Amino acid sequence: MNAQFAEARARVAEDGALLRSMYELMLLTREIDRVAGKADGHWHACEGEEAVIAACYSGLRPDDFAVPHYRGMLPASVARGADLRALLAGLAGKTTSHSGGRYRSDVCGPIEHRVIGLYSGALGPTLSYAAGTALAAKLDRRDAVTIAVFGDGTSNRGDFHEALNLAAVLKLGVVYVCQNNQFAISTPAARGVGARSIADRAPGYGIPGVAADGNDAIGLRAAVEIAIERARRGDGPTLIEALTYRISGHLVADAADYRPAEDVAAWRSRDPLARLQRHLLECGLLKRDEDERLARETRERVDAAMAQAQADPDPGADALGLQAVFAAARS
Amino acid sequence: MACLSYAQAGCLALERAMAADPAVVVLGEDVGRGGIFGQYRGLQQKFGTARVLDTPISEATIMGAAVGMALAGLKPVVEMRVVDFALCAMDEIVNQAAKARYMFGGQGRVPLVARLPIGIWTGSAAQHSQSLEAWFAHVPGLVVVTPSNPQDNCSLLAASLECGDPVIYMEHKELWTVEAEVDPTAKVPLGRASVLRAGADVTLVTWARTVQPALEAATAAAARGVSAEVIDLRTLWPWDRETVLASAARTRRLVVAHEAVRVAGFGAEIAATVAEELGIPVRRVGGARIPVGYSKVLEDAARISAAAILESLLQ
Repeated sequence: MNAQFAEARARVAEDGALLRSMYELMLLTREIDRVAGKADGHWHACEGEEAVIAACYSGLRPDDFAVPHYRGMLPASVARGADLRALLAGLAGKTTSHSGGRYRSDVCGPIEHRVIGLYSGALGPTLSYAAGTALAAKLDRRDAVTIAVFGDGTSNRGDFHEALNLAAVLKLGVVYVCQNNQFAISTPAARGVGARSIADRAPGYGIPGVAADGNDAIGLRAAVEIAIERARRGDGPTLIEALTYRISGHLVADAADYRPAEDVAAWRSRDPLARLQRHLLECGLLKRDEDERLARETRERVDAAMAQAQADPDPGADALGLQAVFAAARS
Repeated sequence: MACLSYAQAGCLALERAMAADPAVVVLGEDVGRGGIFGQYRGLQQKFGTARVLDTPISEATIMGAAVGMALAGLKPVVEMRVVDFALCAMDEIVNQAAKARYMFGGQGRVPLVARLPIGIWTGSAAQHSQSLEAWFAHVPGLVVVTPSNPQDNCSLLAASLECGDPVIYMEHKELWTVEAEVDPTAKVPLGRASVLRAGADVTLVTWARTVQPALEAATAAAARGVSAEVIDLRTLWPWDRETVLASAARTRRLVVAHEAVRVAGFGAEIAATVAEELGIPVRRVGGARIPVGYSKVLEDAARISAAAILESLLQ
């Protein structure tokens, strides 16, 4: 595994096209944080966790499924091809969103882009949906894979055990990635996870468990690629634990005063975006003026999409949609 | 007397119960920091991490553990965050907590209070905004409490902790910051409604958040010459049949209003009982049978307005 990982990591480190698209997604994620955090106190900010988003949702095939964690759902949807303005309209509850204002786009991505959302509102069921989309591919004899991302808190629910066990028993093509940001709202992972690590649980299911640096976009991408290849071969699921840190509160409105400021500062200095930026500049995969242009264009793109989304029409009460509850109106 | 918020009033009842009875313990997610709504604020600092126990995100196991704790003689207070999340623990509530006393002829008691906040929570959409009180009122073995104001939240939580049965305690998510004078020693028995406004022409029964639009509607109806008697049911099971039937027998007309979906809501039980007993006209005001939308426009359309209640009062 170590030799395989070293080889994969070296390959990813030199893949300029892939790394640039990952970097762009990370920049976009941070810009979305900026505008969404300002507009909505309920926003689940992704700062510090962008490498997980970039590593998991880049380079998927159109027939693959993404089952994102809510912290990253919106950029994941962009990576899957959804329109940024429509997604931001989903945050503002506008008619131009995928749900027509019925649901938040940052917890439920658009199914037409093969993004599965948190339909329950509770955590954990997405891990079973992922087993389901992978089972559908298997029954169709396709090698499409599903990547399912979830938090450390979610990994303590019964759904986690049942879904991973089923995926292991049926050798399903799922890559399970725990975006371990070390907090379930205020509960530190150390008080939620009895195992030494979340990756340590994998042998209990008879599947590979990989502990990865969640702030190292390159290394994490390498781990994800190995797991995707295994899933495509029909060898079954992998559990990857991407260790990172939630820089913001659970919500923007959460001051998160239940943890030491020094911890936040220490993790802030391990910023995954700056780390990938350094790599790209040092290796000549990105020129400084290109980088500045990319940052400016991303900012402008997000500002424009947000302005447009906010100007989009609210649904009228007549759009309440009794006709949308059932296939035929049976309300 | 002190001026307390609805959240603080519940917290005070719990603090008094924990100080008086070492068997009262709290478990659930984020209780140590005071709960996401501040309804446990300061309790862990006062009573320690063993009695105010932070748990992983594991609703079924939290509720199952509470059943075990209660059978072993404790009085657990179970934090489920919102009723929508408690659906992950329905077997533990319905098949386990609610059945034990009956199955074991009174030998297996489950004195627990499960806090399952109900109602529309601004901007939180379909799976965080439900009012599912009728689900629990339907289950033999469960007590269902729906306080509408700070005093009741203090007194009813205290009564729930003393009642010896599993209590589904349903605070409303948009009442947490409502403030009023609270006397922590005032007793409110379970199963006793409160007549908030006397009236002669129509009886208006409601509970929880809907008490506010109901009172507004009654004031507006009075201006139109219709005198409505407003009853806050406070406890849905057991519900105060005597108070409701006595009022309806005088006014000869009944309106029930609740935020829950109108179809098969608990209002149907009250309306049916009054119709059976008194044979008088009944009307129900409740939500459309549709998930609560996220957009403010759709969310507002799911709320029960004073205007909608007024319309029923005037008919």
